[in-house]
Amino acid sequence: MSTEGSVSNDREGHVKTEGERSFWGRLANWGLYQTLMTVITLSPRRQFFILAAFPILWLLTQHLGPMLQMLRVSLLDAYPVAPDVAQEFSLESYFKFFGDPIFWMPLFRTLIFAAVFTLCTLLITYPVAYFLARHVSRKNQMLLLLILLIPFWVGEIVRTYAIMILLGNTGALNLALKWLGLIDRPIPFMYTSFSMGLGMVYLTALYMLLPLYSALEKLPKSYNEAAADLGAGAWSRFRKITLPLTIEGISSGSTLVFLISTGFYATPVLLGGPSTTVFAETIAGFFHVAGDEWPTGAAFAVIMFIVALLITGVFQRLMKSLRKGESS
Amino acid sequence: MRRGNRIVLACIYWAFVLYVFVPLILMILMGFKDSKFIGFPIRSWTFDWYTGIFSDVEVLYTFGYSVIIALLSTLISVAVGTWIAVLLESRKFWGRAFTFGLMVLPALVPGIISAIAFRIYARWLEIEPGMGAIIWSHAVHNVPFVTLVVMARLSTLPKSQIEAARDLGADPLIAFLRITLPYLVPAILGASIFCLLLSFDDFVRSFFLGGYEPTLPVLIFAMLRSGMSPEINAISTVALVLTAAIGIWAERFTRNANKGSV
Repeated sequence: MSTEGSVSNDREGHVKTEGERSFWGRLANWGLYQTLMTVITLSPRRQFFILAAFPILWLLTQHLGPMLQMLRVSLLDAYPVAPDVAQEFSLESYFKFFGDPIFWMPLFRTLIFAAVFTLCTLLITYPVAYFLARHVSRKNQMLLLLILLIPFWVGEIVRTYAIMILLGNTGALNLALKWLGLIDRPIPFMYTSFSMGLGMVYLTALYMLLPLYSALEKLPKSYNEAAADLGAGAWSRFRKITLPLTIEGISSGSTLVFLISTGFYATPVLLGGPSTTVFAETIAGFFHVAGDEWPTGAAFAVIMFIVALLITGVFQRLMKSLRKGESS
Repeated sequence: MRRGNRIVLACIYWAFVLYVFVPLILMILMGFKDSKFIGFPIRSWTFDWYTGIFSDVEVLYTFGYSVIIALLSTLISVAVGTWIAVLLESRKFWGRAFTFGLMVLPALVPGIISAIAFRIYARWLEIEPGMGAIIWSHAVHNVPFVTLVVMARLSTLPKSQIEAARDLGADPLIAFLRITLPYLVPAILGASIFCLLLSFDDFVRSFFLGGYEPTLPVLIFAMLRSGMSPEINAISTVALVLTAAIGIWAERFTRNANKGSV
């Protein structure tokens, strides 16, 4: 608002006094500023350098830096290094991981959980996205989508707590089942992979829904109509047209949900039990105890990141080839 | 056939809405229960938990602490994110794809790994765990969201406007400040709200980089670990109402702003 006002104001000023009196005119005529600008804009090359220097520096030190430092610490034999001891590089932390099932089982479990929960999220949200994109008028689409967005503004911890209240032994679900006469004693939903799955799907559904919705929304309705005219049934229309053309949405949504699911820490701690320890808890354990465990924790984080990236990389390639195979 | 499909899909949609809303509604209801014991059914109701938290200095302090962290980290994210967006959108240069990849990196790293990496880096930089460390980690983590939103808006800026300004004698800086920046305002405001909410709701980074003072999600987590109580429901409900209200408002605001200026 204020910017608009000032623009129109000094447009008037500009006409009257040729830019002398306005703030911008004064700035442009100020000697120091003029020298500065000549120095900066001396050559396109220098101009670009000044534009690029800070962002590049930021990206290297703030975005890449933490990851590289984590990698470095994972290769040290002890961290922090005692003042009079030389730093030694070692792969010990990495060997430690493969040596004991207490370490690699949680990673294996995390990946299986993340994959299963991602699949569940996809199966749950696809019909929802399909309904929104194909069966709802444009005007209502935004409203119905907005309704779904509201709970997703709420934080991770609050929503995890909401799931705890739903599933507890005296929770709403057990009360409802008892009231319906289906059970006599409460079912212990909490602290199982079921409660964890319900919680994680709850937290990640939006990241699947939005890519699916935008993929489905882009798909022209005429494709389906043409196929229907040519005699294709509803199922084969879906399998031959809708599904292959939304693979991109499926692929990016699944990648996002998978990566997010592997990184959850608070949700498994609160909703899971001893039999569902995920790798995030294993990693965190090394940072709560004495400092000399940091290299192990860092190494485990590096392993998890690389494995997660490899899996999503293979998955995306698979989806791409699937798409090519379907369209040819 | 098509009609039947439609009804089934509509049922699925509303079932999903229930799945998404019912846990939150139950949680809100439980905050009004007149008993220390969490569980259904609720037989009598009270406002005591709310009066309790609003007179609890620690809760109020934590609330303010989280808000300040959110505001300061958003300020940094928006400034840096916009700058990076302008660089990436302005021209093609050698290494642009790599720069883009680096830019989105913090958004793709799974939460726990990101928190650990920041923790290790903070120690290396000798930043003590606490407010500064949390602000810094939130700021870095939120930059990609700002950059992506601002880049999307920048790509629709008519290049002719900048050229016209330059032809009329404006230097690059003034052209940026008077043409580009005003055009970006809706995107920047939308991204700011998003960053505020991301920072306010963030648990994992605040948990690993925090000192002795907890942020609101960390406080709720710590209380939950020592047992559920309606007091937690009251705190969570206040946080929920606040974040949801800001989210809805921002959604409407950015939509209107985008409509108005295009």
